[in-house]
Amino acid sequence: MRTRFDKQLEQLHVELIKMGSLCEQAITLAAQALDQPERDVVKKVAAMEGEIDEKEREIENICMRLLLQQQPVARDLRIISAALKMISDLERIGDQAADIADLAPYIVSSSISSKVQIHDMAAATIRMVTLSVDAFVKNDLELAESVVISDDIVDDLFNKVKGELLDLIRKNNVDPRAALDILMAAKYFERIGDHAVNVAEWVQYSITGIHKSDEHHLDTEKE
Amino acid sequence: MTKRIFRSIMLVSALVLVIGLGFIMGILYHYFGSQIEKELKSETAYLAISVENMGITALDDLPAESARITLIAEDGSVLFDNKADASKMENHSNRQEVIAAKLKGVGKATRQSDTLSEKTIYYAKQLSNGQILRVSSTQYTVAALIGELVQPMLYVLLMMVVLSALFAARISKKIVSPINSLDLDQPERTEAYDEISPLLTKINKQQRTIRRQLSDARRQQQEFSIITENMSEGLLVIDAQTDLLSYNSSALHLLDATEAQAHASVLSLNRSESFQQTVDAVLSGKHTTSDLQIGENFCQVIANPVLRDKEVTGAVLLLVDITEKIQRENLRREFTANVSHELKTPLTSISGFAEIIQDGFVKPEDINKFAGKIFDEAQRLIALVGDVIKISQLDEGCLPYQKEETDLYTLAKETLERLREPAKRKQVSLFLEGEHAVFNTTRPILEEVLYNLCDNAIKYNHPDGKVTVTVLNGKNTISVSVADTGIGIPSTDQARVFERFYRVDKSHSKEIGGTGLGLSIVKHGAAYLGAQVELESCVGEGSLFRLVWGKEC
Repeated sequence: MRTRFDKQLEQLHVELIKMGSLCEQAITLAAQALDQPERDVVKKVAAMEGEIDEKEREIENICMRLLLQQQPVARDLRIISAALKMISDLERIGDQAADIADLAPYIVSSSISSKVQIHDMAAATIRMVTLSVDAFVKNDLELAESVVISDDIVDDLFNKVKGELLDLIRKNNVDPRAALDILMAAKYFERIGDHAVNVAEWVQYSITGIHKSDEHHLDTEKE
Repeated sequence: MTKRIFRSIMLVSALVLVIGLGFIMGILYHYFGSQIEKELKSETAYLAISVENMGITALDDLPAESARITLIAEDGSVLFDNKADASKMENHSNRQEVIAAKLKGVGKATRQSDTLSEKTIYYAKQLSNGQILRVSSTQYTVAALIGELVQPMLYVLLMMVVLSALFAARISKKIVSPINSLDLDQPERTEAYDEISPLLTKINKQQRTIRRQLSDARRQQQEFSIITENMSEGLLVIDAQTDLLSYNSSALHLLDATEAQAHASVLSLNRSESFQQTVDAVLSGKHTTSDLQIGENFCQVIANPVLRDKEVTGAVLLLVDITEKIQRENLRREFTANVSHELKTPLTSISGFAEIIQDGFVKPEDINKFAGKIFDEAQRLIALVGDVIKISQLDEGCLPYQKEETDLYTLAKETLERLREPAKRKQVSLFLEGEHAVFNTTRPILEEVLYNLCDNAIKYNHPDGKVTVTVLNGKNTISVSVADTGIGIPSTDQARVFERFYRVDKSHSKEIGGTGLGLSIVKHGAAYLGAQVELESCVGEGSLFRLVWGKEC
């Protein structure tokens, strides 16, 4: 019975790795789409988003089955509930990658992307997603912590991009529509970074049993 | 076993106890019955005498606890009874014992009481006056006796059972203890029952077999792990659920993973799309090969399914580091592209000049100038093709030269002599220092290498610069260095100047000339000659190239 449970847990682990990997690919492709005006990439990302949604349902089913049939306790329960939370964040990452890919053709045609630091932002976000999935795969607290910290970098970059766009619009040497598109893409990247942080926090929770939001509660209770 | 022995002993002792008790009871009952009869007989005899002597009055003073005594008249009416009212008793003439006494003088009868719990034994004797004296005594029947004795007998039985249980426990323990204390690791040394010695021998034999097989298995395991740990290829064994069964350190190194958890999925080592596809494909039973990029390294994954009864039970993945191969491929591709480009430039010029001449746009007096330009470009082409041939020959390592005794100093002198003209044009002065150093080497290649070094030293020099060639014949090494006072090479480019067609300053390459293959030839030639190339350089101050041979003692 126990070995069966372990097997199912391992399956959950593998499916989560696959889902994480899909998200990484989707966002990497979306970032590439900012350079290459290929329709293929947009379609590919959209297809991937569908795959990610499917994976989410699949993992949800596995979690429900585990919860109902095995009635796990303690650490196992934590892992499963963290997984349930994580997949909704991963799914949002997939959605936003698809949104970025949708915007990409307009951005590419305006050739504005080389004037702002959107590529740096994309790279930083991809790194965050990769790190958060790594943290989950390796069950590594330090990696998870580094994801939480590097969110500031992405936030800073977002503000920088915003400032640069503002300058460009003021100087009137840019198509304001494209500028807005870029701003949207940047916001999506920033949101993806937040979701990566959420994933990392759930990884921390599944290891330590303490979630960031709990810490706040504990702190306020003490006060 | 102890339990079983205990139970058997208990059962046997209880059985023996019950049966023995039964027998003894039977015998005793019988014995007591006949004893009562005898007593009755003698009592009757004594009483008969006293009744005959004293008449009925002899019976008056009988003690109350005596047996029942009845005196019966000849006609059967009861004259006296010490336990009942004689007048109310019925006629006894038809009683068995009375009839027998009338006939034979004595009679005896046994009658069960109504409750069956007692039986009465009657003994009758006819007196000389014809009266009959009857003495009777009651005795418990077997059933009553048993009923009466059940309690004490149960006590006895209980005590016996407790006692026998105690003994049985001790005995069974004693029987089993030699078996319990068997040393199964060394069964032949134990002294136990003869009956189990064949078993012990067999255990001993089997143990030896197991030990041998275990050590065989361990040795094989060790051999396997030594092989896998020492191979540079990575090896991963996974089961059908992609769980990791076995891996070697090379695999972890190639996949850039620090440690693998046993029984974790192989996808936790690498989750890239191509790796996932490879794993999926191999687990569906297909032999698969794919390339994987991990950071800056490349690795080829060769995946073979493991089949048992036509079902995939797992897979063996072999990881081969192909970084160098890919890099070399890239280099070759780059080289081909560069060569084509370098060949195309002079050819385009030649073709252009020739076209202008053909179309008659050139004045006759300018034809010579144009021909000179075409000649220069053709020379460039020839030099380039010559260099490419040299470098590919060095690459292949098959050169048609023999080794011979060569003096490095003389060779350097000759080389500088050949370069005197171009040096003069660049206003660079040449110096040669050092001592003679004769050793066995491939002269044409050494000459080529030296020529290229000195040629570069002149080309990349400032006007009024110096080129100094120093030959040193040291104790352990022979070295030749070419130092210039030229433009120098930035430290970031120092590692790359030996690459084919690499130029530090790409924009001015045409002015300086050269093919971009000079230092590449130096590097390959030095490798062919077994020399080390050292480079010291500082931007603006000049560069120093040194070739060093170790002396074989």
